[in-house]
Amino acid sequence: MKARLIDSGNVLKIVDLLRARGREVIAPFCGRGRDSYFDTVTDENRAQVRLHLPNPYYPPKRFVFPHIERLMRVHGKNGAMTIEPACEAPPRAIFGIRSCDVAGLWHLDRFYLGRDYRDVYYERRRKNLFLVNMVCTDPAQDIGNDCFCLCADTGPAAREHFDLQLMDLGDGQFMAVAGTAAGEELFSEPIFRKGTGACVERRRAILAEVRKRFGTTTSWFTATVRYVSQGTILEKTWEEIGNRCLECGGCTYVCPACTCFTVSDRQVGPEEVERVRIWDSCGLSGFTRMAGGFNPRRAVHDRRNRRFFRKLAQYFIQRELAVACVGCGRCAAVCHGDIGMPSIVEMIRRAAPEPPKNEPAQH
Amino acid sequence: MNPPNTENIYLPKLAVLDRVVDDIPEVKTFYWRFEDPAEQAKFKHFRPGQFAQVSLFGVGEFPASLPPSPTEEETFFTIRQVGSCTSALHQLKPRDKFAVRGPYGNGFPMEEYEGRNLTFVAGGIGLIPLRSCIVYALQNRAKYGRIQVFYGAKTPGELMYLTDLRAWEKGGAMECHLTVDRAANGWDGHVGVVGSLFKKSGVDMPVDNTTAFVCGPPVMFRFVIKDLLALGFKENHIMSTLERYMKCGVGKCGHCCIGVAYICVDGPVFTYEQIKKLGEDI
Repeated sequence: MKARLIDSGNVLKIVDLLRARGREVIAPFCGRGRDSYFDTVTDENRAQVRLHLPNPYYPPKRFVFPHIERLMRVHGKNGAMTIEPACEAPPRAIFGIRSCDVAGLWHLDRFYLGRDYRDVYYERRRKNLFLVNMVCTDPAQDIGNDCFCLCADTGPAAREHFDLQLMDLGDGQFMAVAGTAAGEELFSEPIFRKGTGACVERRRAILAEVRKRFGTTTSWFTATVRYVSQGTILEKTWEEIGNRCLECGGCTYVCPACTCFTVSDRQVGPEEVERVRIWDSCGLSGFTRMAGGFNPRRAVHDRRNRRFFRKLAQYFIQRELAVACVGCGRCAAVCHGDIGMPSIVEMIRRAAPEPPKNEPAQH
Repeated sequence: MNPPNTENIYLPKLAVLDRVVDDIPEVKTFYWRFEDPAEQAKFKHFRPGQFAQVSLFGVGEFPASLPPSPTEEETFFTIRQVGSCTSALHQLKPRDKFAVRGPYGNGFPMEEYEGRNLTFVAGGIGLIPLRSCIVYALQNRAKYGRIQVFYGAKTPGELMYLTDLRAWEKGGAMECHLTVDRAANGWDGHVGVVGSLFKKSGVDMPVDNTTAFVCGPPVMFRFVIKDLLALGFKENHIMSTLERYMKCGVGKCGHCCIGVAYICVDGPVFTYEQIKKLGEDI
């Protein structure tokens, strides 16, 4: 991978370069308090793009998997009915996507483009997406109390799956690393200059230091993966977890690795129907309810069980090459019942699993 | 496994309804074909046990078993009116249009059963997904051993595909044993749950070298499985086809995933051995 240096004052020029290449550029902005959000960069708001800020709750996965996405339009009634597939995939770039969210997109890639069928809607958007990854180096701004990318092995600096990676070296310079040919192409621009051995050393030192600046949230998956995969977690533990679930679906909507959707038809004109897909959540009671009312997963704790089985079972880890959790900490931050991933992992780890059959009686 | 597909997997193709035949109360059979004959020819390569996604635009889409065998000329669905989409389908008249995509799912591995006896056990509309398999086996009669159908419904009026069953039985190609939960006017056949047919006098049920196919409501399924295991059937020789709420049919929407299996791509056909491992009620 090639690396270059760029002055802090020139970093936003990368946004300009991408815009000049015909891309819609999405970048993070600050709202009120610690609130932040991704938005399209325009001439007006370009100066407000922030390099260091809390990662937005609303994950950038919506730029490849929108929360509501039109799949097709159907015109006409019986006489002459035509089905017209929707095809919206503007060339885009996400500037300042965090390493956890890069891992989230990679998870979506494996899911939507893997196995027997490829999801063309996802594929088109993904192919047209350029990723400028920003390494989290500022403990006060970039790293939140709920971040645990260290445990998920996705951050603070992504190792791959970005086009360009930026890291603040703290001395008025950023280091840029190209992950793809498209990223490397930008290095021909005069704002980039050759790096030195000292910069590489500085990058290493900063990363080593940042790893120590994370909060207290941890999520040590191994034991939990084992218990989930072996099915040895007691029903009682799931019930305790279920009791704390408010069934709001928030954890799934903020999750960069969640993929479920529902499909709905809506009338958009007298003789025109639109079919859309909408983010869905396995936490909601209607998720498995069939026509006629039979619901195989009626209890709330069964649905919690389902979510964490899907994310942590060994079978899926082997198929998808990682736990379906990127350590962004969003679920921990938004959950009112405090049953985000780190809490669940801890509750399961601490709860006694089903006792081995041949254990001698305790006195 | 389905072949890799680069098409738009969510895009259904327009279909025309040819005729509608009443089966039992609330259940009708819809004969249809794709508007485009090329699509029809492509679709006809489905395997018994696969399913299709049926679209009623403005209402929605639902998964439906394919009751015809690929060896049959016509394509059709047999559908019970139960939710909004199936109700909309029931409103359609011949020449009306709707849309279909598929076939999806693994289907029954019919080659693996060659040389074996086939025992079909169905309850209620559970006969619909098994019909394809039965017809396929009868069309390839020489490849299979004895073929038996045990079929039960609540009342005589709710026994499906009766004309078909009678016709297939003629000439001794297969045996058909019927039962109802409650007898009504004129019913002189067996009364009782499906499992009670296995021990009825005059019924000789092979167990060795036999594959059983079970499909019906969950409660019937549980009891029949018990009976079959007691008779000596091996768990990997009991087949069933599962159903779940489904949106995409191609392993993406997540609704039908139980345990490690996506019913739409890993199923809907499973052995009882596999079903047991899924770890959830079916």
